[in-house]
Amino acid sequence: MRKRKLKLLLILFVFCLLFILGACQSDNKASTSDDNDSTTITLWHIATAGQKETLENAVARFEEKHEGVHVELVQQENDPYKTKLSVAMGGGTPPDVFHSWGGGWLEKFVEAGQVKEITEEIDAENYLEAGLAVSTFDDKVYGAPLGMSLVPVWYNKQIFQEYNLAVPETYDELLTVIETLKSNDIIPFALANQSKWPGAFYLMYFAERIGGPDLFNEAYKRDGRGFDDQAYVEAGQKIQDLVEMGAFPDGVNGMNYDTGQSRQLIYSEKAAMITQVTSFLDNTRKDAPGFEEKLGFFPFPSIEGGKGDKSHLVGGVSPTFSVSEKSKHPDLATELVKELTSIESGQDLVDLAGGIAAIKNVTYEDEFSAEMYKLLNEAEYLQTFYDQTLPPEVATEHLDTTQALFGLTITPEEAAKKVEASAKEALK
Amino acid sequence: MERKLEENLISRKKETESSWISGTKKVKPKSKKTNNNFWVIFGFMAPALLIYGVFVIYSIVMTFYYSLFEWTGIDDNLIFAGIQNYITLIQDGVFWTSVKNNFLLVAASLITQLPLGLIMALLLFSPIKGMRFFRSIYFMPFLMSTVAIGILFVYIFDGNFGIVNQILGSIGLDSLQRSWLGNEVTAIWAVIATISWQFAPFYMILFRAAIVGIPEELYEAAEIDGANSRKKFFNITLPLLMPTIVTSSILSIIGSLKYFDLIYVMTGGGPNNATELMATYMYEQTFTNFNMGYGSSISFSMFIIAFMVIAVILIVDQRRKGVN
Repeated sequence: MRKRKLKLLLILFVFCLLFILGACQSDNKASTSDDNDSTTITLWHIATAGQKETLENAVARFEEKHEGVHVELVQQENDPYKTKLSVAMGGGTPPDVFHSWGGGWLEKFVEAGQVKEITEEIDAENYLEAGLAVSTFDDKVYGAPLGMSLVPVWYNKQIFQEYNLAVPETYDELLTVIETLKSNDIIPFALANQSKWPGAFYLMYFAERIGGPDLFNEAYKRDGRGFDDQAYVEAGQKIQDLVEMGAFPDGVNGMNYDTGQSRQLIYSEKAAMITQVTSFLDNTRKDAPGFEEKLGFFPFPSIEGGKGDKSHLVGGVSPTFSVSEKSKHPDLATELVKELTSIESGQDLVDLAGGIAAIKNVTYEDEFSAEMYKLLNEAEYLQTFYDQTLPPEVATEHLDTTQALFGLTITPEEAAKKVEASAKEALK
Repeated sequence: MERKLEENLISRKKETESSWISGTKKVKPKSKKTNNNFWVIFGFMAPALLIYGVFVIYSIVMTFYYSLFEWTGIDDNLIFAGIQNYITLIQDGVFWTSVKNNFLLVAASLITQLPLGLIMALLLFSPIKGMRFFRSIYFMPFLMSTVAIGILFVYIFDGNFGIVNQILGSIGLDSLQRSWLGNEVTAIWAVIATISWQFAPFYMILFRAAIVGIPEELYEAAEIDGANSRKKFFNITLPLLMPTIVTSSILSIIGSLKYFDLIYVMTGGGPNNATELMATYMYEQTFTNFNMGYGSSISFSMFIIAFMVIAVILIVDQRRKGVN
């Protein structure tokens, strides 16, 4: 008996040893092949569904043009991505090409000397001005944009029809819609706010609608109103009013957007509306094919007496691609960035993902994309996402306090004061 | 009876120890050879020592070093800040929430995981049919990947589709239905329940191994003396399990003080920092907010707190042994 056990252990041990040896072996092979026959360029991205296909197509074209070059696509989950990239940058092993949203986050890496300047290499004429602006610091370009992301209110047309609801133009009309839906046991707005950014759309929209388009820029540039302006307090108050009247499902702060907890409410028709980015459509096509027939969108309503306008949009760039300063093949990586943001890629993004390209000369056949593109063209002002524009510390404070507003654990005054305090320290 | 047994055990232990030492001495008499002996021992320890040195000692020292700087972690621009990070830390409300949550987790783990593990281990010794089946079932949670458990329980606690709310609804407790992870009061308890579910089987295995080690004769002797099963448990099983219980407690306490994974997967420290632990807060500060220096000062405080707690336990345990 004991002997048999010993034998078994021995066999197990040998297996372990073989396994370890095997692992080492394959590792060696991989690294030698890299040095000899082919060059590998790594690309980190967070694209899913049609967007991912767009990138894959671009990579295929790139590999065809550059023989012997292999591109390794590494897909990451949205929220952990930010962490992973900063760890890789800090550890000195960054990917050659990486995704970002531009703004304050990218600027941190630029300041740290981790991003290659590509002003000369790319042709600014190819891109929408708003798209390139988020990756331009001191007139130097550090990234090329592929898509634009806008935030409309998506709604279930069938539910609206059933209860005879019209698309709301103003906040008061929106309140009526909410009341009607509530009385019919339908959750007005689906929201998954554990990730914090989905709830922030409401704050950004309310603040713009009340305080006007210059509010954020004044607070950000520190030359006028601040983040503790009355408009921000009122915006926070409006969020809490909506929470108190039951416009959102219970416990939004515990639901995760990435795992689909708010989208499920829309698909199962338990909820009628969701304020979400353009790629929500792309997700819907993947998650619940056919559901898009019921789907429509409208711009976030205006507020009576406010300085903002219904045509002003909250949005941003997603994604923009940059090259690491530490890349071993900076020229090839730059070429890859150009391919990723070529007209073909832009067209793919529109056709495959229903997105909006940040690239000029793209034709819009997809009904949703065409309509959304029209919104973007008509918009006199594009409010970039706060959490991507602001430096990370302030962005975190903004997201945390907004989440607390939804949880009713902070007053709008306190929230505004906290963001302002953090901004005072970080934005000098 | 138990007294004698313990004395017996101790004396046996001493015997083996002394024979081992004297044995080595007999083979290698004095000076040069003992020197030799040192190198042999060192040789065997070197690999472990090297790993320990690099990944534990060096890391702790460097963490302290970095905690004295203001640094983003992604560039070479370290600005010396002295103890400024620690001053900020003491005034930081979120940090104290996280410390409180950590100790809550420690208490909850000790109260739930150890007794649950013990009960399950004892159940496995009772003559029920299908014991092997239960043994596998009980051990299952510990084998699952933490991230999978986290996502599974996020769905279980979901406010709209979750099974917890459905069960509550079907037994007429609608008033108790809520979004368990979205509520700042219940979120921490929901996560603690999940952690206990995951780790109780681990202690079950430890206890089971210890119970197997208790000599059968003791129970037979007790039976002859007319002890019932309750007496057998309190006078034989429990006292002999004491060393295992102490070890388990230490493991559980250290584990709870350093805990990170399930919180990160299930709540990310939210809503509004309600489930923040020291480790998740450190992570957020270091990697999301680019405050490597401040994050390091949180890490180092974690080390100090865990170190002090363990020191207290060890001293108490020494005393207990001394009394016996």
